[in-house]
Amino acid sequence: MRRSSSISACGGFAIAALLWAAQGPGTRVTYRVRVVQDGMLELARGSVSGPAGTDLRFALRDDTAEVEALFQIVPEGDTVVVSAEFFTKRRVNRSRRGLGLWEQDSYRRSVRLAWGDTARVHLFGRPRPAVPRDQGLWVQVVLVRGFSGGEGRPAEELEVLDSTMDIVLEAVVRPRRARVVMNLVRGDTVSGPRGFDLVPEAPARRVQMAMAGRTTTLEIGLARPEPARSARDRVLALDADVVCLRIATPEVAQPVGVVCGRLNDVARRLPLPGGDTLVATFAWPAGR
Amino acid sequence: MSDSHEHWLKQIDAELDGEMSLAERALLAKHLANCSHCAGARASQLEVRVALARSAGDPHARVVPRPTIRGRALAFWAVMALAAGVAGGWLAHGRWGGPGGSLEDSRAAIVVH
Repeated sequence: MRRSSSISACGGFAIAALLWAAQGPGTRVTYRVRVVQDGMLELARGSVSGPAGTDLRFALRDDTAEVEALFQIVPEGDTVVVSAEFFTKRRVNRSRRGLGLWEQDSYRRSVRLAWGDTARVHLFGRPRPAVPRDQGLWVQVVLVRGFSGGEGRPAEELEVLDSTMDIVLEAVVRPRRARVVMNLVRGDTVSGPRGFDLVPEAPARRVQMAMAGRTTTLEIGLARPEPARSARDRVLALDADVVCLRIATPEVAQPVGVVCGRLNDVARRLPLPGGDTLVATFAWPAGR
Repeated sequence: MSDSHEHWLKQIDAELDGEMSLAERALLAKHLANCSHCAGARASQLEVRVALARSAGDPHARVVPRPTIRGRALAFWAVMALAAGVAGGWLAHGRWGGPGGSLEDSRAAIVVH
């Protein structure tokens, strides 16, 4: 009985270690991407990397077609399951008045592969064996994992070799923390900036802001935004880097207001009940 | 009665096409002398043929030839059209994948190499 419990404990530790190795904070995931036409013409190449949990948003547009996809990975031991949500638009004809008629489609694809394997994504369907030269347009994705070396920020790199197509590669990372910098403004008077590292969905914290010899106490908390209303925005995670700052005052039970924004250092303003205006900017936290 | 008229109308057609013997023409003339209906039909046929001959540029034509399509020629061209259609469809399917293809064929596919 004792022997079996020690074996199961060892097994549990081994699984935990594997999960830590695959998904822990020290792991970095890299998507190496090439866009190829007709099997030999390279249209673009690039890479997207980031901490475990980083997704890849891909888009390709020209005059007749648009393909948008979000690639997500789930490591399973030495393999990884790649799932992709596709949103496509293709121009199928023109209306009587000369406007383009488009066909829209959305679907999901999933495949398992080993780390370092190459996944070839045929954007407009598999090549037809009846036509030897019909390779179509495909995207080659190679997944690599390695140690992060302390680098937690996502990185993107893209070289477009054919300017007739609009090609986008983006890292999609949901922030675990966000840097929030706040000022109070009243007329021409501005308080000194105060910065906070906040964790989404963590309990609210009380902060004090001083301006012109007067102290204002606020309770601030960070939250994720409401799910996007359109299926496309939701599935492509277009609001992945959006956070919402909930402001409350100790005297009032209900929040005074909510400010939402991307982590892009753009100021957002929120009028407070006392006549002050709170200015908040959101940014990625500094690397640790 | 109507069967009898049908018979004489065919005889009128054959006469105007110049395909009747003297004896048959005599029989037809005898019938026409007593049947105003068939005589009227013959006169109408003659007028139509005169109009056709004039439109064809030969007002003095003795007979108006009918367009005839022989059975063998018709079968030959039908087979040729069918073969051309099959060959064209085969080539077009190979080149463009058929008219639109199925929805699933047009969707992205992930292949592991």
